[in-house]
Amino acid sequence: MKQQKQRSTGTARRNTFREDEDLEEQIDFGDIKRIGAYLKPYLRQGVIILAAVLSMSAIAVAIPYMTKTMIDTVIPSKDPVRLFALGAVFLLAIVVYELLLRYRTVAITQVGQLMLKDMRRDLFTHIQTLPFSYFDSRPHGKILIRVVNYVNTLSDTLSSGLINVIADIFTFLLTLVVMFVIDWRLTLWSLVLMPLLVLYVLVLQRFQRRAYQRLSNKQSNLNAYIHESIAGVKTTQTFVREREQFHTFQEQQGQVRSAWMRAVHIQYLMWPGVQNISTITIALIYYLGITGLGGVQVTTGMLIAFVGYANNFWNPIINIGNFYNQLITCSAYLERIFETLDVRPEIEDRPGAIELPPVKGRVDFNDVVFKYEPGGRNILNLVDFHVPAGSTVALVGPTGAGKTTIVNLLSRFYDVTEGSVCVDGHDVRDVTLASLRRQMGVMLQDTFIFTGNVRENIRYGRLDATDQQIEEAAKAVHAHEFIMELPDGYDTKVEERGSTLSAGQRQLIAFARVLLADPRILILDEATSSIDTRTEEALQAGLAHLLKGRTSFVIAHRLSTIENADQIFYIDHGQIVEHGTHQELLAKKGAYYRLHESQYAMIRTANGDQAQSAQPGDDAGQDNQVRQDSAVSAQ
Amino acid sequence: MYVDSAKNQHSNNLRWILPYCRPDAGRIAAALVLFAGDKVLVMLMPILAGMIVDQVIGQGHEDRLPKLCFAMIAVTLGRSICRYGYQMFMERFGQNTIYRLVSDEYEKLHDMDFTYFNHTRNGDIMSRMTSDTDAIRHFVSWVSYNILDAVCLFAGSLAVMFTIEWRLALALLAVTPFLFYFTWQLSKHAHPLFYAIRNSLASLNSMVEENIEGNRVVKAFVREPYETEKFDQHNDDYMQRNMDSARNSRTYMPWLDGCSYMLQLITLILGGWLVICQQMTLGALVSFNSFLWMIDGPVRQSGWLINDVERFNASCVKIRRLLTAEPRIVERKNAQAGVVQAATVRAKVNGEQTEDPVRIRGDIRFDHVSFAFPDDPETPILKDIDFHVAAGTRLGILGETGSGKSTLVSLVARFYDPTVGHVLIDGIDARQWPLDLLRRQVNIVAQDTFLFSDTIGDNIAFGAQRDDEQYVRTMASMAGADSFISRMPEGYDTVVGERGVGLSGGQKQRLSLARALADDPAILIMDDTTSAVDMETEATIQRHLQEMEGTRTMVTIAHRISSIKDSDLILVLDHGRIVERGSHEDLVHAHGRYYRIYRKQLGLQSGQSAGF
Repeated sequence: MKQQKQRSTGTARRNTFREDEDLEEQIDFGDIKRIGAYLKPYLRQGVIILAAVLSMSAIAVAIPYMTKTMIDTVIPSKDPVRLFALGAVFLLAIVVYELLLRYRTVAITQVGQLMLKDMRRDLFTHIQTLPFSYFDSRPHGKILIRVVNYVNTLSDTLSSGLINVIADIFTFLLTLVVMFVIDWRLTLWSLVLMPLLVLYVLVLQRFQRRAYQRLSNKQSNLNAYIHESIAGVKTTQTFVREREQFHTFQEQQGQVRSAWMRAVHIQYLMWPGVQNISTITIALIYYLGITGLGGVQVTTGMLIAFVGYANNFWNPIINIGNFYNQLITCSAYLERIFETLDVRPEIEDRPGAIELPPVKGRVDFNDVVFKYEPGGRNILNLVDFHVPAGSTVALVGPTGAGKTTIVNLLSRFYDVTEGSVCVDGHDVRDVTLASLRRQMGVMLQDTFIFTGNVRENIRYGRLDATDQQIEEAAKAVHAHEFIMELPDGYDTKVEERGSTLSAGQRQLIAFARVLLADPRILILDEATSSIDTRTEEALQAGLAHLLKGRTSFVIAHRLSTIENADQIFYIDHGQIVEHGTHQELLAKKGAYYRLHESQYAMIRTANGDQAQSAQPGDDAGQDNQVRQDSAVSAQ
Repeated sequence: MYVDSAKNQHSNNLRWILPYCRPDAGRIAAALVLFAGDKVLVMLMPILAGMIVDQVIGQGHEDRLPKLCFAMIAVTLGRSICRYGYQMFMERFGQNTIYRLVSDEYEKLHDMDFTYFNHTRNGDIMSRMTSDTDAIRHFVSWVSYNILDAVCLFAGSLAVMFTIEWRLALALLAVTPFLFYFTWQLSKHAHPLFYAIRNSLASLNSMVEENIEGNRVVKAFVREPYETEKFDQHNDDYMQRNMDSARNSRTYMPWLDGCSYMLQLITLILGGWLVICQQMTLGALVSFNSFLWMIDGPVRQSGWLINDVERFNASCVKIRRLLTAEPRIVERKNAQAGVVQAATVRAKVNGEQTEDPVRIRGDIRFDHVSFAFPDDPETPILKDIDFHVAAGTRLGILGETGSGKSTLVSLVARFYDPTVGHVLIDGIDARQWPLDLLRRQVNIVAQDTFLFSDTIGDNIAFGAQRDDEQYVRTMASMAGADSFISRMPEGYDTVVGERGVGLSGGQKQRLSLARALADDPAILIMDDTTSAVDMETEATIQRHLQEMEGTRTMVTIAHRISSIKDSDLILVLDHGRIVERGSHEDLVHAHGRYYRIYRKQLGLQSGQSAGF
């Protein structure tokens, strides 16, 4: 793994389906060496397979020899006993050969598949460690194709290819030895064109590699486009843009097609090259063998045998050439795979990072400055606050002010540029990521529902939760009611992204999921935006006791959800502009006050007066109703 | 569509793929000619070698040697050209075939309705459009001529062998039934195995896809180990399916391979016996034997080719299933003419000028509509919905989570058809409208915002197709998005990720609103579009929307009273039923559910909330 190159994630410009990704110019033998690392665990099996394959090639060489003996000596001797005896040996050889083939067929696939499996797993686990920015900065289709399709393209090369090529080299050397024994001068003559072949292959390789890089780029783009088209098909239909999308799609497809054709135009030149050089060599052998030029002295029988061997000798070369061909093809894909593996996650456990012990929930931001990239704009500018354990903090302010960034720094999805973030006095950079995040419950703006059923989706918060605990969590967030109305209750199947649920229902499930995780620090990032008023109110009543004893950060635009917070931070331009309780901030008549007024005004405008006038008469009855509602739902 | 998917629905896979190949008939013919040329030249090689042995060595005509040597080289050169030629033709043909095939898949996909996408995983569709089509490409541009090659060589050589010694050839022919038996068995057992491999791959694809899409949740819950475990299962399953196929090969391949050696053995033993019995000359046996190597290759290859054929078959099944899926929402025949006619009649009846029927006015009527998803008729989502919205007015919809609001509006753009009742747009049943025309003018800003990985500017101009920077900017500022876009370092040229990741929820919502506004629809439907937008910005957006009043029908779904209170008609939905309706004033006076929500929102605003 010394060969690893540093490849950065965050600072890279975003990539779309239109742009090719950069690739290295030269074939990187380091990449090929790294495949070796995948072979290593199966070396023992590999050696056994190789032994089997070599025995098979030995038999494959012996059989023509038996044929020759049969025709040259046994049959002319007209001795049926010898004929049948040799026939029996022949048969035995076949049986052994086929038994070996039987073994090889499965063993080779197994080693190959195991290697692919390992590689796919490495890719997958590695991708798990990569930051959001990696996923945000490129089409998801391009990531997907690396884990699945690219690895599959290596399948043949890794399994049969590698082992066969060793067998071919063996056959090649064996044949060469036999040829030298028959006549060394003629053998040297038959090697005379070898440099030409090597040169041909090398030249071809240069072009072929470039062509395949291009092809893999175009395929990657096309895949990204297909993936995005599938994901965005509803949007396309809404805007009736099917035709335009189709047009772009065909354009992309056309590019793949021409890149493909260019690649095979070069790749398929390999065979004619080898074949022609081989024929020229054979012609040369005939010519020299018969005329005796070049100091060659052979008998007719030897010459014919020699030509036979020369044929044998070129076959492995063609195979080796094909393998090299494959390797070049693969290297374009390999490069992509290793490139992905080499992306270093920006956020990693520091060496010697400790497990964060169960925390009480004190959170300190010490003069935090944050920017996404060096030299960039400060997203947070000297944010300094200290939240005692168990209190609720609300973050308000305009979109893009930095609220989400603050909570992202707390879960260490990013690292601060300056200053520090501490939980119970531990700098978040000094503790392991897993132990930190396990104690935080984050409910994001994007609720994501996995394929499966409702129960499994809630259980995602705590994998060992019992069904009863799941239901309790669902009841606490008032998801239970709607879940029970679904056809199969908690066992109702949900599809990818929860496409069969409404946005509000998804938020409720995600809410239950977070609660089930029982985090010490709870972060709600616009968690209730799609939930209706009645549910939200009931939810809040039910949540009140759950929030007790937990430090919580609440980001919300609806002020109603934040008025009871212990502290409210008004964030603007990456700074805390105001902080205090709801009452304090209102009294201050600053930014928060203005925000509050404008909201209040929005509801009251036009009809507000009527609402006011309608109020006194029904107050009692209405409030009773409200209380009943919450009482029922809180149960 | 290049090929009508209804055609050849029940024929076998070869017959089915044929229409996709047909436009390349010329190429295939050319390839066949070159292929035949190659085969003829291949046969010349042993003859030339034989001439060298017979004439030069045997009869001592050394003067013919250079000529014969050059002939050999010339033949190889000729072969190279033929072979390279037909390979290129076949590759091009293969590429063209899948070009047409994937294009059809792509088009079909866009014809499918929401019901289909709700139940089909993206990774599954993805693998049908990538790896499955690749199996087909491999078949048409490689396996096809290799099978032909094998059959030709086998039949040709056997024929020649019959002319040399029919008894011996007959003995070889006796091996053929075994050959057929083993290939038949191999193919029969391989078929379900390859299908299982394809399925396993599709589910591996889906799992990884979901993991990538949900990476934020995975990280937030530190579920990487759990995800890896899930992945391991799929990964292992995929490997096991491949191993199953290898085991199947293990059972039959050695027999097939053994057959080819048996041919040699039979030739030697029986041939040897015939020679010993003086029924055959040694020379005849030698030349007979020299044709054996031509048979050897095809027989040995047969197992691999059969596997490739089955791989092709398995992929065909998956692709055909996609291509023959029936969308539930289909445009009726002559919809355009029907609508034009209806508009003319309506104009006559109302005594109006004949108007442009292509422009929808925006009148929406739900006539006792009930709706259940086609796959779940037991659970009605909408129950007897009946209302009317005049063109140019505003409709507000309020209701609890899951009460059917989003479903209701998707009936307007005919993403679903009502199960009972009618949805009338401008007095014409939505089912009568040409889909294009209807959807072009009904724009739903969906709850799930999807942005393409493209620049912000291009995303906004997605529907409008206007390369007008000023227009895009105007639309953005109407949606309250201009300010945050301008603050970005690259402004409108900022590239956003798939699904708009990298933007906050409120920002995404505003972008998708801007995109819809730029489309200039006659009916604009906003499904909880401003839920994640801060109140100040929302106020701005509301003001802009108000300015547009009268020019288009606007439908707003919201939880905040502030978003809908200006509507001409407000519907309160509960469990798929309209429980209250009227204007804000009416509903406030009615002191019903709407009023309670209003009071709560108002009350909560003024600091009486019970929660956090």
